[in-house]
Amino acid sequence: MTFVTTDMAYIAPLLILTVTGMLLVIAESFFRGRDRAGLMGLAVAGSVASFVASVVLYRQLEPGSSKLIFDGMLVADRFGFALTGLFSVITALVAMSTPAHQREHGWENGEYYAILLLSAAGMTMLAQAAHLVAIFIGVETMSIGVYVMTALRRRSRRGNEAALKYFLMGAFATGFLLYGMALVYGAAGTAELAQMKTKLLATANPEIAIAGILLMVIAFGFKLAAVPFHMWAPDAYEGAPTPVTAFMAAGVKAAAVAAMIRLFGQYLGGDVLPFGAVGWASPMVIIAGLTITVGNIAAVRQNNVKRMLAYSSISHGGVMLVGLAAMGLGSSTGQSSLVYYLIAYSITTIASFAVVSWVGSRDRERLLVDDWAGLGQKHPAAALAMTVALLSLGGLPPTAGFFGKFYVFKSAMDVADNQLIWLVAIGVVNSAISIYYYLRLVTAMYFREPTEPFTPSRSAPLEVVMVLCPIIILAMGLLPGFWLGLGN
Amino acid sequence: MNDLLTHIGYGHFLVLAAVLFVMGVAGVLMRRNALIIMMSIELMLNAANLTVLTFARMHGDVSGHTFALIVIAVAAAEVAVGLAIVVALFRGRRHVDVDRLNTLKH
Repeated sequence: MTFVTTDMAYIAPLLILTVTGMLLVIAESFFRGRDRAGLMGLAVAGSVASFVASVVLYRQLEPGSSKLIFDGMLVADRFGFALTGLFSVITALVAMSTPAHQREHGWENGEYYAILLLSAAGMTMLAQAAHLVAIFIGVETMSIGVYVMTALRRRSRRGNEAALKYFLMGAFATGFLLYGMALVYGAAGTAELAQMKTKLLATANPEIAIAGILLMVIAFGFKLAAVPFHMWAPDAYEGAPTPVTAFMAAGVKAAAVAAMIRLFGQYLGGDVLPFGAVGWASPMVIIAGLTITVGNIAAVRQNNVKRMLAYSSISHGGVMLVGLAAMGLGSSTGQSSLVYYLIAYSITTIASFAVVSWVGSRDRERLLVDDWAGLGQKHPAAALAMTVALLSLGGLPPTAGFFGKFYVFKSAMDVADNQLIWLVAIGVVNSAISIYYYLRLVTAMYFREPTEPFTPSRSAPLEVVMVLCPIIILAMGLLPGFWLGLGN
Repeated sequence: MNDLLTHIGYGHFLVLAAVLFVMGVAGVLMRRNALIIMMSIELMLNAANLTVLTFARMHGDVSGHTFALIVIAVAAAEVAVGLAIVVALFRGRRHVDVDRLNTLKH
């Protein structure tokens, strides 16, 4: 075991986010009351610096090359840096959507930004993890931060309830993750992912390995809010402050998928149905089908916009699992289509929650679909941003969401012997169903008369997010080639 | 006494850990008091730790021991946050019964 100092350069995004997070803890004592919005600037600067570091490192590496660093604890490759870049952008956008919501709803806690960046540091660790311990630390750093952010509105009954439900389910999942890791470690005799598959195939106790892997699938199912482990998600998403909901829906989900791509797709992949060598593919395929369907059907019945988006994000998690199953079953396009989907989904989700946050104000949070009636007449720009986001979530061209679903389903069709064809059929049917509830909100915005005047919470950074995200969504839809190449 | 110890093998520790884990899961699913649920989760984490340590000893691998130490540290951080959330909840409601948490729509 030796400590190679040059390896530090490869974790620059992680280091930048961590150091900025710590600086924010100190800076918080010097900003009081209204000035706390100034902390947002530092948080955005840190995220942007981390994004730039990711881009530089990404360009420095050859496509397809990967380099183990810190004795096989982490890995440096283009896939990882594409995702650290994505997590940095998510963090910056969420930080920018926050001050307006904090001002309107009276939770101007300065420590929020510090926790946001430290939680994002956990995500970047997941993107680069190549060891069970790194995955565990990444998941926990990310999750503990998000528990705190969910609970920040201390006097809100709904906030507390959401935080407790989220915490208990998250900690329960940690128990499964850890016990699963312990069993896999025992069966393989190593915790390094690079050697794990060969060791697992040669193990004398395959039943222990399979039990461990099933427990890890369950644990990630909780983190991803996959059916049947999703019960916490709608409550947590509804009760958390809206920018935190955006971070949970976009960042935490993308980071969980990143870890699953590493673990199941890259290092334990090459599986074959029905049960396979290391036994994660079949449960994953079943969970994917259930998640897409149940999430969608529940979303149809929702009148609360935040809950509707929560169920829709559950359903999107199912599509990610389809891509993951495709990747694990040997589809060569699985990884790049998943990276495209993650970028498209995250940016779209942040856009939609930014508009939700903008439309509401201190007096009226305006979370019901009926509250949005007539937004198109009164505030056409905000309605347009929401429409682009909803079309992208529904998977209609020319948005990013359309190509995201298209590429993921196409990669699932690439799997040998059409093993996933029925899963693709479920996905396509559900996409059609989902258009109904997305368009319900669009029709409310454009074709109904406003019942009362809108009092949006105006804020320049939030409006920048509302302009920037739809532009990225359309750019990804019009020029998909560039974005699709990022994940290779 | 010495004789007894030589008869305790790795298998005993693994079975003990598995029993602890199942007790933890059952506790989370069956108990309704948030504090007891947190204790059950701790039981699950400790079961996992015991398993890791047994396997680390079995494989003669030091990295497993460090894994257990890291888990202890992380679990402590997690519990600190969890207890803070429970206290905040208790201040508003004077109870920590998860079945009575229904402000958010189901």
